[in-house]
Parts: sequence; structure tokens; C-alpha cells
Amino acid sequence: MNQDEQGIHLEHGQLVTETSLPVPRAAVSAFVASGLWALRAFAVLVSLMVIYTFISQVS
Amino acid sequence: MAASTNQADFRPAGLPVAVAPAQLPVTREDARRSDDRLHVHRARGQNRRWLLLWLLVGPGILAMLGENDGPSMISYAADGAQYGLGFFVPFIPVLFAMAYICQEMCMRIAAVTHRGYGTLVLQRYGRAWGWFGAADLTLTNLVTLVAEFVSIRVGLAYFHLGSGVAVTLGLALVVFSLSGKRYWRWERIALGLAVFNGLFLLAAILVRPSPGAIVHSLSFVPLPGGNVNTLLLLLASTVGATVTPWMIFFQQSASADKGITVRDLKHGRFDTAAGAVLGAVFGVGALIAGAALLTHHGSGIQGFAGAGFPGALAHVAGSAAGTVFALGLIEAGALAILTICASTAYAAGECAGVSHSFNSSPGNAAAFYTANIAVAVVAAGVILIPGAPLLSIALNANVLATVLLPVSLVFMVMLASDKGLMGQHANKRSTNAIAITVIAFVGLCGAAYGIDSFLQATRLIG
Repeated sequence: MNQDEQGIHLEHGQLVTETSLPVPRAAVSAFVASGLWALRAFAVLVSLMVIYTFISQVS
Repeated sequence: MAASTNQADFRPAGLPVAVAPAQLPVTREDARRSDDRLHVHRARGQNRRWLLLWLLVGPGILAMLGENDGPSMISYAADGAQYGLGFFVPFIPVLFAMAYICQEMCMRIAAVTHRGYGTLVLQRYGRAWGWFGAADLTLTNLVTLVAEFVSIRVGLAYFHLGSGVAVTLGLALVVFSLSGKRYWRWERIALGLAVFNGLFLLAAILVRPSPGAIVHSLSFVPLPGGNVNTLLLLLASTVGATVTPWMIFFQQSASADKGITVRDLKHGRFDTAAGAVLGAVFGVGALIAGAALLTHHGSGIQGFAGAGFPGALAHVAGSAAGTVFALGLIEAGALAILTICASTAYAAGECAGVSHSFNSSPGNAAAFYTANIAVAVVAAGVILIPGAPLLSIALNANVLATVLLPVSLVFMVMLASDKGLMGQHANKRSTNAIAITVIAFVGLCGAAYGIDSFLQATRLIG
């Protein structure tokens, strides 16, 4: 069934058929990409510290 | 509508209510969402303001009150038991103000793009970032869910009920909430549960705090002193008690699932603000209740040790206070189980590129429903393991979330600022400035505790 037959009350862009289409890829500069990777690496490092602390607390 | 990855062909939503020009196929999910939206259109058309508010609130309140979960309320109570009324009383509302800044962006992104956070990160910035985000979320959610089941267990232990009852109750609630196969029904079940977060305010009233001391504490004094590592732990866990990765995934995806549009931005902001205010009030309530234990060796009650808080409160302030606090812990754990399982399921479905909506049937959204239940089952199983370090898990759940939060926040701000995605609804510079300050603060708190604790654990300091 299409929208007219169903009496669908959704706005432009809300149908599943539309939201399943991918949005365009963003252009990210090398500087921003490096910053994101650095932040990711830092978060992983500190997470490993928290996990190590947890294991040492348990043991 | 032809598939396109050309940026010029993609435009943010925001057209007046009307069907799209092209006749597109309609799914069951669309039909269910449309039924809900019809009520909204009618209420708006008839100028029924209260009905419109009732229809549109939900994701914001659930994100904020879901964040007042078991570990969070225990963190707040521990702040009170350790430091009394002082710095943390105004600090908690400041944290919820921070949470409002972040969550409002999530709601706005969903209203404009009709897509969840996981979907947008994956498509806009690449699969690696999308899957990293989902992996962070799954890890922190699993750890936090264990803590939620522990919270229910601690609350039930006050009534001499065991782990089996806690597990059964939590899992039964998850299955029951999914049984309607409608987002609206799931949301209203969760909101009904969220009302009982107010039990912590009742507990605060029952301990009969000094109004003068509460007013005095609004000036952030006395500042917390004592052991630096303990203070850092409480700071990091208090920050993690207020803003976490799952809230970002949840509110954006739930807002999209609910069908929020740009016409609903005002109500979405009200929903988020109301959640923040209620969350702050109830969180401070838990702190005030915990502060009643300050002069009764409250600092010795560590986390969930032996169902410490409800029993101690009953001893100090009477059985009513202990009972209410215990019931509050059960509610806090139960609501968080629903919202955290939902956020996990949304993330799993979005990153896998499959149907991820409560408005879909289990047959059409098998991965979504399976993830929703499976993560609860795994967490429930952990608390049944004899000798499992539940106290340590509960204590570190919020800290881990705090540490991993900055990455999610950065992507959220990038999405909210993206004019190609958000059009006229993109972040202003002032919003970005505040958001960057929030990210820096959260990152510092998490990193400070993580590094300090590691150095102590390895005996490099202290």
C-alpha cells in the first residue's frame, strides 16, 4: 500500500523507505580526523587503566 | 525517491505536514508511527495544549530519570554520607544542566534527521566510528546493567527477597514492555515506572533534614576534603551518574522512533528540561537521604555493601525512610534496565542496518528485539554467579561510562553543528562553546580518576 491509500500522517523524510537511505558522507579534514583518533586512543588508554584498577581491586 | 549520496539531494526535514510528493511504500512501522502522529496533529489542530504535551513528552524524561539509576542514586547517597550537605547539593543540578545541553542536541538531531545516533555516526563519519561507538556502548551498558540488577537485588534484600526474585522481576519487566509491539506502549510503561523515582525525594523528607543546612549548601560550601582518590572517585562517578553514552543513543533513537519532528522542538525541549529538573530534584533527594548517615559512620558504607544504605537509613531515620529508599532502588534499577536495554537494541539495529523500532514486529526486527532481551539476560546471569565482584562492578560502572563519554559527545556536537545535516537547526556558536566546555570537564573528571587510581593500584604513587 502507498501513503494515500494508508492515510499516512508522517512528514517528508520520516518513512522507513526514506530513513533507510544513507546520508551523504561528511568531509572531515585531516586535522579533525587526527584529533578524533587521538581522543579515541586516549579514551581506550584510560579505560584500560580503569579496567586494570577494577581487576586489582577484585584480586 | 531515487537513492542518492549527493549532498545537494539530501535536505533536512521541516516541510509542513504533508505526504511526500512521491508515493513510497509504507511499512507496518510507518503505519504505527503514523497512528501516533495523527493524535499529535489532531491535538495541535484543536489547540489542546495539555493533551499535546502529554503526547509529546517521553524520551527526555526517560533519559534523565533513567539516568537516576541504582548506581547513580547510590553515588549521590554516598556523596551525602561521605561529605554531608555541601558542595554536591548544588553540583548535582549543575550536572543536570550539562546533561540538558547534551540531550537537547540529541532530540534536535532526531527531530530534523529522523535517524538515530548510531546510524548517523556510521553513515556520516564511517563504519569504524559507528562500530567503535556501538562497542563502547555495549561494554558500558553491560557493566551498568549488572549494577542495575544489583540495585534491584539490594532493594529486595531489605524485604528479605533474593537474587532470583531480582533477576525474574527485571527480565519479566523487559519482556512485558516489549509485548505491545508499539513504541507508545513501551514508552508509557517506562514513564509509569519513572514516576516512582520521586521516592528518593520522599526519603529525603522522611530523614527530616535541616532546611538551613540545605540553603547554606547552595553556596557550594563546605567543599569536600579528605582523601584525594576517594574524592576523585566520587566526582567521576557523580559525573557518570548524570551523563552517559547510553543517554545519547537512547534519546536520539527514541525521539526518531516516536516520530518527533521539527514542529515538536519546543515540546521536545520542555520534555528534556522537565527530565533534567526532576532528575536533579530526585538526585539531590538521594543525597540528602544519604547525608543523614554522615554522623553514623556513613562514609563506611561502601557502594552496595550488604544492602547498606536502606538498612542504615532505617536504623537512623526510621523504617519508613529505609523502606522508601529500598523501593526507590528497585524502581531506579528497573527503569534503567528498560532504557539501557532499549539503547543497546537501537545501537545494534542501527549499526547492523536492520529494522530497529518498537513499532516493528519481532519478526521484522528480530535483531532489535533479540538485543533488547539478550543484554538483559547476560547481565542478569552475572549476578547469579557465586562470588562475582558485584560491588566493584557497581562502583566502577559510572566511572567507565564517564571515561568513554567524551568520544560520544564529540560526535554528537559534530552532528548537531553540521549545517549540511541540520540546516537552520544547526548549533549556534554559543551552544558549541558550552558543549566543548562540558566535554572538557567530563573528560578531565574521568581521566583524573582513571589515571590516579591506576597509579595507586600499581603503587607508583600513594
